[in-house]
Amino acid sequence: MKEYKVIGQSVRRLDAVEKATGTAGFTSDMKLPGMLYGKVLRSPHPHARIVGIDTSEAEKLPGVKAVATYKNTPRELFNTSATMTFTVPPMLPVLDQYIFDNVVRYVGDEVAAVAATSEKIAEAALGLIKVEYELLPAVYDPKEALTPGAPVIHESEKKNIPGEIIQIPYGDVDKGFTESDIIIEKEFKLPVQKQAQMETQAAVAQVGLDGKITVWSTTQTPHPTKMILSKVFSIPESKIRVLNPPYIGGGFGVRIGCSAKAEPIAVALSMLAKKPVKVVYSRKEDFIASDTRHGGYVSVKLGAKKDGAFHAMYLKATLNGGAYCSFSVETPGVLGCMGLAVYRVPNQLYYGHSVYTNTTPAGAMRGFGNPQAMYAIESVVDMMAEKLGMDPLKLRLKNIMQVGDPWVLPYRCGSTGLAECIEKGAKSIGWENRGKLNKPGARKLRGIGMGVGTHVSNAWPFCGDYDNAYITVQQDGSVHLASGVPDMGTGTSTSLPQLVAEVVGVGLDQVSMTFADTASTPFDIGSHASRTLYAAGTAVVEAARDVRKQVLEYAADLFKVAPERLVLQDGVISAASQDAGAVGDNCSGAPVCKIGGVEKKSITLKELAYDAHLRNKQFIGVGRIVPDNAPPWHAHFAEVEVDTELCQVRVLKVAAVHDVGKAIHPVICEGQIEGGVLQGIGYALSEEIKYDEKGRQLENSFHKYMLLTADDVPEIEAMLVESNDPTGPFGAKGVGECGLVPTAPAIVNAIYDATGIRFYEIPVTEEKIFKALKEHVK
Amino acid sequence: MNLKILKFTLNGEPIEITVSPDDMLVDVLRDKLELTGTKKGCGKGECGACTVIINGEAVNSCLVPAMKTMGANVETIEGIGSPEKFHPVQEAFMDLGAIQCGFCTPGMIMSAKALLDKTTSPTSKEIKRSLSGNICRCTGYVKIEEAVQAAAEKMREKQ
Repeated sequence: MKEYKVIGQSVRRLDAVEKATGTAGFTSDMKLPGMLYGKVLRSPHPHARIVGIDTSEAEKLPGVKAVATYKNTPRELFNTSATMTFTVPPMLPVLDQYIFDNVVRYVGDEVAAVAATSEKIAEAALGLIKVEYELLPAVYDPKEALTPGAPVIHESEKKNIPGEIIQIPYGDVDKGFTESDIIIEKEFKLPVQKQAQMETQAAVAQVGLDGKITVWSTTQTPHPTKMILSKVFSIPESKIRVLNPPYIGGGFGVRIGCSAKAEPIAVALSMLAKKPVKVVYSRKEDFIASDTRHGGYVSVKLGAKKDGAFHAMYLKATLNGGAYCSFSVETPGVLGCMGLAVYRVPNQLYYGHSVYTNTTPAGAMRGFGNPQAMYAIESVVDMMAEKLGMDPLKLRLKNIMQVGDPWVLPYRCGSTGLAECIEKGAKSIGWENRGKLNKPGARKLRGIGMGVGTHVSNAWPFCGDYDNAYITVQQDGSVHLASGVPDMGTGTSTSLPQLVAEVVGVGLDQVSMTFADTASTPFDIGSHASRTLYAAGTAVVEAARDVRKQVLEYAADLFKVAPERLVLQDGVISAASQDAGAVGDNCSGAPVCKIGGVEKKSITLKELAYDAHLRNKQFIGVGRIVPDNAPPWHAHFAEVEVDTELCQVRVLKVAAVHDVGKAIHPVICEGQIEGGVLQGIGYALSEEIKYDEKGRQLENSFHKYMLLTADDVPEIEAMLVESNDPTGPFGAKGVGECGLVPTAPAIVNAIYDATGIRFYEIPVTEEKIFKALKEHVK
Repeated sequence: MNLKILKFTLNGEPIEITVSPDDMLVDVLRDKLELTGTKKGCGKGECGACTVIINGEAVNSCLVPAMKTMGANVETIEGIGSPEKFHPVQEAFMDLGAIQCGFCTPGMIMSAKALLDKTTSPTSKEIKRSLSGNICRCTGYVKIEEAVQAAAEKMREKQ
């Protein structure tokens, strides 16, 4: 195996010093000369027409510099999601949002915004805006919204369905079920989960008098966000700069595109006030007026032969898309693709779509449809195992996808370490103890369960996906990388420089990176779809190879040998030692390089770069790639304890094993998995936003929304498997989203193992356990 | 509202500043003193991102009226270490992967420091308890707890 110098090492993150000392820049920390503070007036009604709006009193309040409504802002339809505004044919873009509209469609929808000299004044001014609403009927459940009498939320081709219905046929599903010996069909209900990233949505906009716009924001995708703003405000993209300053307090999908509407609102206010404007969402605004995960319904019909071979599967999803489309077309698409890609099933069909309702828009959240699919599928796989009388682990091993297997995805299954993941996880959890953990009559019942799955390593073919990077060797031989991706905490500003250092042949201390800035980096689609290291990393590797080639070609002239004979390692260029050794004269015959009138056997990149500078030359490497795609794989095993008196579930341990292809920075990989596990435990047991009969979000703060704290963390054993995918940089695949995906099914299967009760709805709260136990005793 | 003069010790330096009685400490630190290392994640004492140490206790600075700190000794992330000499907690957070997005990090480090100022031999339970008011959505807390353990060990060695 090749020895690597920099990759595979868990070096101190390059952003660590700034983040540990409090000097790291975040949007919410920014202050510009003359900056105003923006606040947003939000709808108290789930569905209403604005028949009158009077802002005159607000405008008179001292300190108020601008009030924006639908009357004085652009009437240009757009979509806050990065992909949908510029979707790739044949998919049609669904553009259903204005910055402000005269119809509000959920509690929290934007009505107006104020810019003032302080946050307090802006807040006070909101109270002076008089709005007259004509109330419209509202609907909150996606199934209800499809019924004939339901209110229409947007005019669309099919009533209340944003965009197209996704259908993925594979084989002959009807014939498949006819030929199956056992069929199980179940429907599952899924909660609305919230990303709850630590930094709320935020933007600072500065509109120059020359018409140029600079926006510092929390977006995960600066370049696509620039495109959206260009469309909304009809300003050339070349005059808009979007950047992170340079960090973001988490993402988890909540700002793929705009940061809710923070960017367009800040720009609109800045245009009106002719001053910089800062808009920072309160935590409540972040909860109620910023994309959530899609809740809704997923049903699975699985057919198997007597020997356990899966033979047919019908997967159906009806997701709650909320009031605006956002990612409501792509999410059911990914749900179907991931659900159908885990097992070899010769006959499959997926049918899925989202539904408009009068709730907070649902968009992207870590896993992007995949957690919804796999909670349902992995529950049914366990049920199938029981019916077949088989060990659920063995049933999975029998049916999981193998390298080169035909599948529904339009790219190859080029690697899988899933079997190894299952083996390692089973060992860690003590799978052999399953079913032997409880004494008869015990109050606290223990159980073990598992869940597996796959994911993507970028967004192709679900949306356009390409990457660029350039690398310049500075005049002192140090190396600079420019990439348009952000670092939202996932460590890209460390792992991408690691790739550069490895490929170019310099120490990591010689590499620095500019990121998340449309003015100083080439286009990149941004951080989502577990893609950054895999896809942007591929462009970075290409740019690094390019710059290394240029360096060696330049050096070859000085050494008077072919460039192939030169090596660049640890920042030093010399002729390959094996060549020197071949002449057998202890290197005395090795080529020498004449630089500055002196002959040397080796020269440093520093010397070479300066020599090039004196001859009017800089080395600039460019990487322009369209990524392939690759499946990461994962198996999670959970052990739980159910207290049958308190009706509480305690997760005792999660063993999380992930095939990451190749770990470029193992500790960052583990951190991604551990964080994902915790969000998955929340998804399974506590996290949910529910609505009251007036469309108000019942969970609109950290206090009400039950996030896990340090006190709730079980033992988590994160383990890595390296299958070396042929398409990824050094074999790497995506890792960011996977930790969440198989956690909920592993826990729900463990609860079943402990209690004999299967939950078809998550989160499995105390209330649900109480009801189920009561039923069970009957 | 009548403005008041507030005097307190901030990171070892005497501070005198004019504040409004309804100003919260977090806003005075961030907006008036431009110490933005202290983060604001909710403004309601529910996330711990704004944790500072007042007279040895870790507190949410968004819940503390600034005037309440009259004469107090206040420590923020800016005062506990720098590249010349990091605090052992900062060092451990950096080296053990306890930092991801970094938004909870200052508050988390301050909570950990307040604990370790009281005891350098905390149990796992004590660490979890003292960090349970600080929400981190990235790490799953695993490496954070490991880092606090490691920092405690380092501080014990120095004693």
